[in-house]
Amino acid sequence: MEQLLQHLLNAVVLGGTYALLGIGLTLIFGVMRVANFTHGELYTFGAYMAYALIGPLELNFFVGLAIAVMLGILLGIVIEFMLLRPLQKSDMDTTMLVTIGAWIALQNMELFGWGGVAKSVPHPFPTDPFVIGSVSVAPLRVFVVCVAMVLLVSFYLMINRTTFGIAMRATFQDPEVSSLMGVKINRMFTLTFAIGSGLAASAGALLAPVFVVVPMMGDLVTLKAFAVVILGGLGNIVGATIGGFVLGLAEELGAGYIDSGYRDAMGFILIIAVLLLRPQGLFAPRERTG
Amino acid sequence: MLRVDGLSVKYGAVPALHGVSLEVNEGELVTLIGANGAGKSTMLKAISGLVKYEGEIIFNGESFDNCGPRNVLTMGIAHCPEGRRVFPQLTVTENLLMGAYLRHDRNEVRRDIDAFFERFPRLGERRLQAAGTLSGGEQQMLAITRTMMSRPKLVLFDEPSLGLAPNLVEQTFRFILDIRAKGTTVLMVEQNAFAALELCDRSYLLASGKLVQHGTSSQMLSNPHIREAYLGG
Ligand SMILES: Nc1ncnc2c1ncn2[C@@H]1O[C@H](COP(=O)(O)OP(=O)(O)OP(=O)(O)O)[C@@H](O)[C@H]1O
Ligand SMILES: [Mg+2]
Repeated sequence: MEQLLQHLLNAVVLGGTYALLGIGLTLIFGVMRVANFTHGELYTFGAYMAYALIGPLELNFFVGLAIAVMLGILLGIVIEFMLLRPLQKSDMDTTMLVTIGAWIALQNMELFGWGGVAKSVPHPFPTDPFVIGSVSVAPLRVFVVCVAMVLLVSFYLMINRTTFGIAMRATFQDPEVSSLMGVKINRMFTLTFAIGSGLAASAGALLAPVFVVVPMMGDLVTLKAFAVVILGGLGNIVGATIGGFVLGLAEELGAGYIDSGYRDAMGFILIIAVLLLRPQGLFAPRERTG
Repeated sequence: MLRVDGLSVKYGAVPALHGVSLEVNEGELVTLIGANGAGKSTMLKAISGLVKYEGEIIFNGESFDNCGPRNVLTMGIAHCPEGRRVFPQLTVTENLLMGAYLRHDRNEVRRDIDAFFERFPRLGERRLQAAGTLSGGEQQMLAITRTMMSRPKLVLFDEPSLGLAPNLVEQTFRFILDIRAKGTTVLMVEQNAFAALELCDRSYLLASGKLVQHGTSSQMLSNPHIREAYLGG
């Protein structure tokens, strides 16, 4: 029981960042119809920027994180502008191949720029964990989960309550009719990619001080983000949020009760199960079409 | 008000319209009729900026020059596309807010939305429901009102009666006549040539991307060629 509580707590910490990643990816897929394989590289980029700013450049920890996320947003804008904008009329396979190419290029740039040695990001939190009864959690992880929650809530408010958010969802559902309503579709695509990239970079920046930063870490992250998106149903934002937490939980339980080697396999086991049993995703919306 | 001059549209290499000209005067209800694939929707899409064209479109003295849907809407032309096309996962209210996307007078927008709900109380009850769950007729009323939310000077309707039961078709036409009576000029595409001609002031007949006839509704109704080909004798 106590062990289970500990796992649940860890799952929430992991799940929050997986949810950020999944929302970013599903948003880009839903609005732009792009299967974005650079997603994990934006995560890695966010992590390296956090390292560079907080480590060698010795910026304040919180300021460094914020700037790292902003740089991630900027990189997203550059990628959209240079690679995806010219391919707007192309099919999904083409843009997917291009993002795979960009993934490889970005990763090798990271390897070239930072070397293969893992970097760790210093942080100002005490290392003694908070202990509540039988469960314990590091203060840094509490910070990570709180920021993730704030970002998730802000994102939901933005998408549900603002005119911009309504227009984004409208573009998601019918870009042509949205353009008839006066939405600038090109700008919406750029902003969508920027926001999606910002969410990935924020997950990377947040987890950088928790784990270490290596050039290859984006690979697994991209795959996990796709797992979350498939779990939730392609393009389903609520689904991706829940999917993030489901994946966090599955990894914790898999690692805790089966074998710690199963941690990273859990996501793929889940994908296979979902694709076999409920290919529309766990949370496909019901909709009347007649 | 609107003048279309020698308009041609191609989809890839396939031409859909060849040199069509038409005119809509302020306050008129003009219809565009013709068989499936004649190019009626294409004409509306060219006017609203969804497809690129050659030729000239002039609205209140200003040439469009392929300026895109947002600018066309800003000039005062709104397009209600074929097949309703409400945003299925947005609520009824959100759909209407999208119609008012370029407006900044929030209070007035609210008032327009309330007026719509007063007219269609069933939709008012469903204001927070996803539009995709509405019936076909309700979706059509919503689609028309969403288009009107931008307060256009000229509105383009593409087959608003498509797939509706006869009593709903009548409700839709009454709604459109009402819109015209309130001062908005209407250009409407309609499959049902007879209904279209009964309703309008003037009409244009398209066939295979070309203009073949035009005239006032009574001229068109009494034209033997049109009677035979489109009105069932
Ligand atoms: N996106 C497109 N790509 C290629 N061809 C198209 C496209 N849209 C329309 N066409 C073609 O252009 C021609 C005119 O189509 P359009 O939709 O304007 O006809 P319509 O008069 O509105 O017909 P309907 O009454 O069936 O709606 C048709 O031959 C159609 O196949
Ligand atoms: Mg049509």
